[in-house]
Amino acid sequence: MSVKEHKAGLLPIDRAGRGLPGSGRGSAVTAWIGTAVRIALAIVWAWAGLAKISDPQAAAQAVRVYRILPEALVKPFGYGLPFLELALALLLLVGLGTRIAAVLSGVLLLVYIASIASVWARGISIDCGCFGGGGAVAASRTQYWQEILRDCGFLLLTGWLIWRPKTRLSLDGWLAA
Amino acid sequence: MSTKNEVGKRSARERMQEERAKEEAAARKKRQLTVIVVTLVVIAAAVVIGIVVQNGRSSSYSAATDAPGGTVGTTRLLIPVGGTAAPSTVTIYEDPRCPACDQFETGMKTTINQLLAQGKIQIQYHIASFIDRHDSGKGSKNAANALACAQNVGRFHDYHDVLYANQPQETDDAWADKSILISLAKQVPGLDSPSFEACVNNNTYGSWVTAVQSDFDKSGYNSTPTVLLNGTPAYPTYNSQDISPANFTTWVDNANKGKPLATMPSASAEALASPTAHNNPPASGAASAGHS
Repeated sequence: MSVKEHKAGLLPIDRAGRGLPGSGRGSAVTAWIGTAVRIALAIVWAWAGLAKISDPQAAAQAVRVYRILPEALVKPFGYGLPFLELALALLLLVGLGTRIAAVLSGVLLLVYIASIASVWARGISIDCGCFGGGGAVAASRTQYWQEILRDCGFLLLTGWLIWRPKTRLSLDGWLAA
Repeated sequence: MSTKNEVGKRSARERMQEERAKEEAAARKKRQLTVIVVTLVVIAAAVVIGIVVQNGRSSSYSAATDAPGGTVGTTRLLIPVGGTAAPSTVTIYEDPRCPACDQFETGMKTTINQLLAQGKIQIQYHIASFIDRHDSGKGSKNAANALACAQNVGRFHDYHDVLYANQPQETDDAWADKSILISLAKQVPGLDSPSFEACVNNNTYGSWVTAVQSDFDKSGYNSTPTVLLNGTPAYPTYNSQDISPANFTTWVDNANKGKPLATMPSASAEALASPTAHNNPPASGAASAGHS
């Protein structure tokens, strides 16, 4: 029954007094691994977001050079995406709504990977602007493979948290207690 | 009997347990919903606040008040050089820190100045400043502002040539130090003054510099130098012919066939044709030889 409930709820939250699922040493380790994954992903998003907020014009240009969005949406995305990343960083850092934050992180990463792949396929030469910077670069200086592989690595982190969203030192856990 | 009673007791206990489980489930659901709502609100608030803040931070530019004197174009983002009646227009996008621009200037400056003096071309400069983003720093923006300050007192072109002749390595953000830009201005007769220095130090044309870069961002051209001859890309090739002083002159002459040339005041034409006042490489002295 408890297993069913966990699957049914989007946010598995510990019931008071009950241990983590499949109680025992193994799940405690899992929960601590989850904490490490959560904080690692929070650092990635915080770094990515902070690097993009100092120069709004550059952030907008980083979006523009993908040639995916119409001009009217370039600024809203260029200005807004870094703050979406920072919000995800904050939620992951404190462990609030861990599974939702992980799902949204995964979706965002998939969008980024698809965008980079699309640019690559169209033969446009840009820096992905993933951690600030961005804009056109010489064709010899593109790093699409590395950028996509890096994002796939981050995707694994989100996968872990979607699979095991219960982590130590989290607001989710504290609220459920 | 006793067994029946036992069964009744147990079922009562089970009912109570079920009740409690239901309540707990309901409470849990409510908690989960709250967390979901809070999470989404945090995200939405961050994005909205972010967009509003960044919108407010991006400098507002007004062509009427923020552009240096003598600039042209619908929003006054272009710096014109040469007689406006000249039959060919050369459009040049340059970043002060861009090494390829320096190579272009070194190779083509003499020819271009000659064509200007002959009234064959006019130039429209777009002073971009995006290298600060790539290599981090302030040098491009500071230099672009200083160029705008020079433009405002009619000394843009000479100062432009001095800056390229003294360009630091791309990765060396030497022009983050505005005093270097000011000391270079001393090589241009009549440029350095207290008001020029104040203009450089106060970043007076900062919003114009940002607007010019923004215009470049949207232009679809993505590297500097971008050089257009009457709207057609001319760097590094023009109709698949490599740029060189001789080729460029030929291209211009072909484009100008049958059109009257602009006349320039002879003094400024002389100055352009034999630019010796500032740090030009010695070879540029030969420019005057070609002046007819």
